[in-house]
Amino acid sequence: MINLTIDGQEIQVPKGTMLLDACRQAGADIPTLCYDPDLRLAGSCRMCVVEAKGRPALVASCVMPAENGMVIETESPDVVEARTVVLELLAARHKFECPTCESDGSCKLQDYMYRYGVKESRFAGEGPHFYTEDPNPFIERDYDKCIMCTRCVRACEEITGAQAINIEDRGHHAKIATPFDGKLADSTCVFCGQCVMVCPVGALTSKVAAGKGKPFQNEKVLTTCTYCGTGCTFELNVKNDKVVGVTSLRDEKWSPVNKGALCVKGRFGWDFIHSPDRLTTPLIKENGEFREASWDEALDLAAKKLQDIKEKHGSDSLAVFSSARVSNEENYLAQKFARAVLGTNNVDHCARLCHASSVAGIGAAFGSGAMTNSINDFAQEADCIFVIGSNTTENHPVIGYKIKQNVRKKGAKLVVADPRCTDLASMADVFMQFRPGTDVALMNGMMNVIIAENILDQDFIAKRTENFEAFKQVVEKYTPEYIEPITGVAAEDIRKAARIYAESGASAICYSMGITQHSTGTDNVKSCCNLAMLTGNIGRPGTGVNALRGQNNVQGACDMGALPVVYTAYQAVTNPDIQAKFEKAWGVSLSPKIGLTITQTIPAALHGQIKGLFVLGENPMVSDPDIAHVEEALENLDCLIVQDIFLTQTAEKADIVFPGFSFAEKDGTFTSTERKVQRIRRAVSGPGQSKDDWQIICELANRLGYPMSYANAEEIFEEMRTVTPSYAGMTYERLEGIGLHWPCPAEDHPGTPILHTVQFTRGLGLFHAVEFIEPVELPNQEYPFILSTGRSLYHYHTGSMSRRAEALNAHMPDNVVQINPVAAERVGIANDEVVRLSTRRGSIELKAQLTDIVKENVLFTYFHFSEAAANRLTNAEALDPVCGIPEFKVSAARLEKL
Amino acid sequence: MANYKDIINSLQDKQGGIIEAFHALQREYNYIPEEAITEAAKVFGVSQAQAYGVATFYSYLSVEKRGKYIIRMCESAPCHVAGADAVIRAIEKHLGIKVGETTADGKFTLELTECVGQCQATPVITVNSEPVFNVSAVKVPEILSAYK
Amino acid sequence: MAEEMRLLLEHADKIDPRQAEDYIKVGGYKGLEKARQMNRKDLIQEVKSSGLRGRGGAGFNAGMKWSFVPPAPVKYVVCNLDEGEPGTYKDRIICEKNAQALLEGMAICGTAIESKQGYIYCRGEYPFVVELLNKAIQSAKAVGALGDFDIEVRMGAGAYVCGEETALIESIEGHRGEPRFKPPFPGVAGLWGVPTVVNNVETFAALPYILTKGAEWYASIGAPKYPGTKVLTLTGDVNNPTYFEVPTNYLLKDVIYKLGGGIKNGKKFKAVQVGGTSGAFIPEQNLNTSIDFDSMGAIGAALGSGAVLVLDETRDIVDIVTRISKFFEHESCGKCNPCREGTFRCREIMEKINAGRATEADINNILLLAKVMKRAALCGLGQAAPIPITSTIEHFGHEYRRKLLQYA
Repeated sequence: MINLTIDGQEIQVPKGTMLLDACRQAGADIPTLCYDPDLRLAGSCRMCVVEAKGRPALVASCVMPAENGMVIETESPDVVEARTVVLELLAARHKFECPTCESDGSCKLQDYMYRYGVKESRFAGEGPHFYTEDPNPFIERDYDKCIMCTRCVRACEEITGAQAINIEDRGHHAKIATPFDGKLADSTCVFCGQCVMVCPVGALTSKVAAGKGKPFQNEKVLTTCTYCGTGCTFELNVKNDKVVGVTSLRDEKWSPVNKGALCVKGRFGWDFIHSPDRLTTPLIKENGEFREASWDEALDLAAKKLQDIKEKHGSDSLAVFSSARVSNEENYLAQKFARAVLGTNNVDHCARLCHASSVAGIGAAFGSGAMTNSINDFAQEADCIFVIGSNTTENHPVIGYKIKQNVRKKGAKLVVADPRCTDLASMADVFMQFRPGTDVALMNGMMNVIIAENILDQDFIAKRTENFEAFKQVVEKYTPEYIEPITGVAAEDIRKAARIYAESGASAICYSMGITQHSTGTDNVKSCCNLAMLTGNIGRPGTGVNALRGQNNVQGACDMGALPVVYTAYQAVTNPDIQAKFEKAWGVSLSPKIGLTITQTIPAALHGQIKGLFVLGENPMVSDPDIAHVEEALENLDCLIVQDIFLTQTAEKADIVFPGFSFAEKDGTFTSTERKVQRIRRAVSGPGQSKDDWQIICELANRLGYPMSYANAEEIFEEMRTVTPSYAGMTYERLEGIGLHWPCPAEDHPGTPILHTVQFTRGLGLFHAVEFIEPVELPNQEYPFILSTGRSLYHYHTGSMSRRAEALNAHMPDNVVQINPVAAERVGIANDEVVRLSTRRGSIELKAQLTDIVKENVLFTYFHFSEAAANRLTNAEALDPVCGIPEFKVSAARLEKL
Repeated sequence: MANYKDIINSLQDKQGGIIEAFHALQREYNYIPEEAITEAAKVFGVSQAQAYGVATFYSYLSVEKRGKYIIRMCESAPCHVAGADAVIRAIEKHLGIKVGETTADGKFTLELTECVGQCQATPVITVNSEPVFNVSAVKVPEILSAYK
Repeated sequence: MAEEMRLLLEHADKIDPRQAEDYIKVGGYKGLEKARQMNRKDLIQEVKSSGLRGRGGAGFNAGMKWSFVPPAPVKYVVCNLDEGEPGTYKDRIICEKNAQALLEGMAICGTAIESKQGYIYCRGEYPFVVELLNKAIQSAKAVGALGDFDIEVRMGAGAYVCGEETALIESIEGHRGEPRFKPPFPGVAGLWGVPTVVNNVETFAALPYILTKGAEWYASIGAPKYPGTKVLTLTGDVNNPTYFEVPTNYLLKDVIYKLGGGIKNGKKFKAVQVGGTSGAFIPEQNLNTSIDFDSMGAIGAALGSGAVLVLDETRDIVDIVTRISKFFEHESCGKCNPCREGTFRCREIMEKINAGRATEADINNILLLAKVMKRAALCGLGQAAPIPITSTIEHFGHEYRRKLLQYA
């Protein structure tokens, strides 16, 4: 311990403590501008200087370790004089437009000038003028207000890893700039706004929030982001019952996953909440046109139609699509509605289209179909991260930041396998750009190397797993040389990748829809599980099979039983004991018959077996494969009821539309990809007559003769946890702050950040002997390209929200198809040229984006755009035989010049 | 002209050698072209923003095109007292450009510099880093005529 | 005493500095040989007891600096050849006359701290010195004089601040030359984060002579607390503006009047600035002072790099200091507020004074600014930048006041 005196007070601090912390411990209020506890120290603003007795110079307390016997004064006349002069120097070049400045009231320069009584600068004179006109729709850059603390530069590099900005020039001419002092959009900037978050003055501000309210005027409501499964928390800034901005808390106690970091959608994509397109009243379609209706009329009509179908065609002619975007409480009620009210297990949601194969594959291998480890493992614990089929920095941006942090700061190894040279691929130790759909071959190849070179974990295999021999036999023929022509990856790279993965202390697999959205999706997932078990990389910190789930509550929707085969917590509908338990809890008799998946419901509707469909917050008219086929099916229904916040392409097909609440208007919980259950909180009222989604379900249930009544979302949660073992120990009170990872079986249980630590959920881990099978649709002369689809950083799901977020839509208004320049030249296509992209299902017209991140035989397009909908092209018939997930990632395609 | 990629790659084994690469590029082009900064960033494992930050930090490095001959006039105190101001004015007049500019024919760029460490013979100018000693206003035309 | 004492420059122009053999013929590399036979601790002790203090300007005992280096698998020896102080060219002279002594000195340091790799950071203004040094290294390696010690030359690119050791390290690493905060000191965490000794050319080049002739002998030369010789570069209004090597107890007035041959054109002396542009201006009454580190300090000046700029009676101090303030504005790296903004405002106020547009308040403001810069700037550049201003206001205040508005 170090003993020192601060402002006459003797204190003790651990060795290595910086003076700044020691002073703060002693109760001194030390001003800082460049200091940020999450960033590397700069020691440059010199505001934190203090006087150390016996030293000629003042010391910058943020970078000076406390030493024994130091006598420190934190507000001596010399200290005050130095701080005053520093403030005057900054003031001399600062553009003071405080009345209209977005940071007025939350500006450190303002605060300190007030504190030290700096009314004007004795050094006022000329100054460089740096105002930067940057046309991006997100971030205002006014360097005439910049104080050169460089927190933005450090945040960009150290939190986000984008490295888009640095200091240009030097001395008094130095300013923050992108390379060549260009626009942010031309740099590697990802518009996460971490720079805005850390800027202590008004140099960097949000254009989206501009003019809507000063920070101190806004009420702040902590909630969980709705734009992906990472589970970032942030604060909705509210003024006059309107969301006027998003800020984030940097305290891990309130922002456990992201620690304040957000992505462009989270920070700048919130204005869809008050879009004029929001549904404000129930709608009823008459003669092909919608008219506004009262709640009673719409609910009565919906109930009558459902009742009629049920009576005429039986319960199983009805189906419910629940949603990965609504809360756990609402998903619980939606599946309860299907089962207890309609009497069918025909309930599913879009996990069918993204991670059904994860639930099936990991479930089969380990017994519990979810991400095994927690997100912060990537940043802190993993020594090697194997990213396969995940464009993490675009689809789970904050997880992408963590991977980059670990690689750059801790030196973790990074192995990336992807058909595209993604951002992570470009910084990987080994990058395997493999042919889409050859995942099993690639991983079998890696495992062949691991077995051949005996770098497997024999002890783990012996003690914790079964069926190794059968697996080993299958893998035997997949030598790197054998799979090189299949995957297009050099044998040597496969060896290198295998060695890095097998020989690192803790290796984590991180995958997403590149693995799951295949006709062999379940096999792909099982291969990931095989790889982890083979090397003992499971059940420990920094390891695991980590399925990154796409939507904010896709994990929760699965957990809540919005699946045709299980009730909550994966309790099988076919298990008589479970059935009895739910019959008792819900007071009705329930069907033991397995229900239909989404991908079965659509053809069933087309063929007349399904007559009525209730869609809660889903948009199959954009999200499902082969939209022409979906459209035909929906048109064939007797009754389509859609509950949403916008008149989506699916809602347009509906007979009755119910206006629900957005995430900003409701209380409840989301479960993130890492199985962490976190609160969402009501910040503003819903527009017009819109209602809380759970309330609409209740009112419909009541009209159908099954009483449902809850005072609030918490009451639903309370009921849910009585029938859901993995959530049994959670309460809203316990979820405050850092949330809880399931399983959390009892109220004194701390939650489970890492699964399968002692044994697998199913007991022993099960090796699967998986053979490589080619994708269903292979390119031929007519359709020479392999078309893959996916998500953009700037949009979400079917675009219903993100395309109504003005800045996001302004930044990326149209779909594009990515094509390799060499291939483009062959077809005679220039960058930005509008082209026709076709498959056997249909065609869309969109701009070509020439980029060498795709190989010559691969095309890539985004699925958010209804007017150039990728799913007009995808194949609804190429389904995984186990879980029914469509092969979104491989279609044979053709590209034509218009 | 040597390819910028070759120039950079020839130095890739020097740890942190991006400044050495910039020097090598300037020997060839007299400035550092944008694409060379991008390439150097890649080769030396730093971000483009960092590479640009480095290229703009040092006064001998330039990211803007310069003339065939870079004249630097030392204006530090010893040269200043020896009459640097008059020499600058003479060079400006002779070349018809101001400090920081390049002649229309792309031959000369005139820059100011701080001490070049040749203070035994002030005032000093350098032409492409070669010092010229005891310069005076009257000698300027003759000195510059040597550069074709 | 009016004679030079040539130690480092004894064989100037008589040997080819590129050729190790030339140097060996005059007794070179004997010091290294001796060092290699010594126990590391004894070697450091020998250097310590020679009293050799850093010739870059900070004046820290070289052996002491080395003794702080902790054990580590990799360590570096870095030579600071970034002499950017205007009026200074002594390191260039040492290289051009006796480069091998520098290489030998670095290898001696390598032996003392167990380092196998040295770097010479040469300022970008000296491409020809880089060339010379590369040849010198090649020659020394070829004859095996350096043993397994390797030296690489890196070239700066026009940044005075890189003379500051941590900025220099940043620059070798390929970064912007912005100084780091200390601690940690380079001796503990320097180049690429490992222990690194950074010394000046002149410091390294003195080592062979200390080893061959003995610490005691060296300690007996010049000023007892700052022993040895010092290479000075004399510029400005003197008859003989060139370089000299003198014992450290040499008097400033003898530098000007004996070696320098007095003021040019029969004019009178006005002031001398010692130590480069960041040095203090010394008035006539203080000329009878020894040039050593401590004696200079006692009169509020600094030996610094050993540059001596002499001004005659006709010189306009305010104009010269204005020019100097422009230098610091140009050379501030911009990292810390007091220096980035302070050097800019110093220049602005100096120009105002020089143009006759200032008032007494401006003088007070610049003195306040100077005080804060000296005490709160992050590195030596910002701390030293106001010295020419404050020292001239102190000794030549009348020249400032003469230019103020009320007198104009």
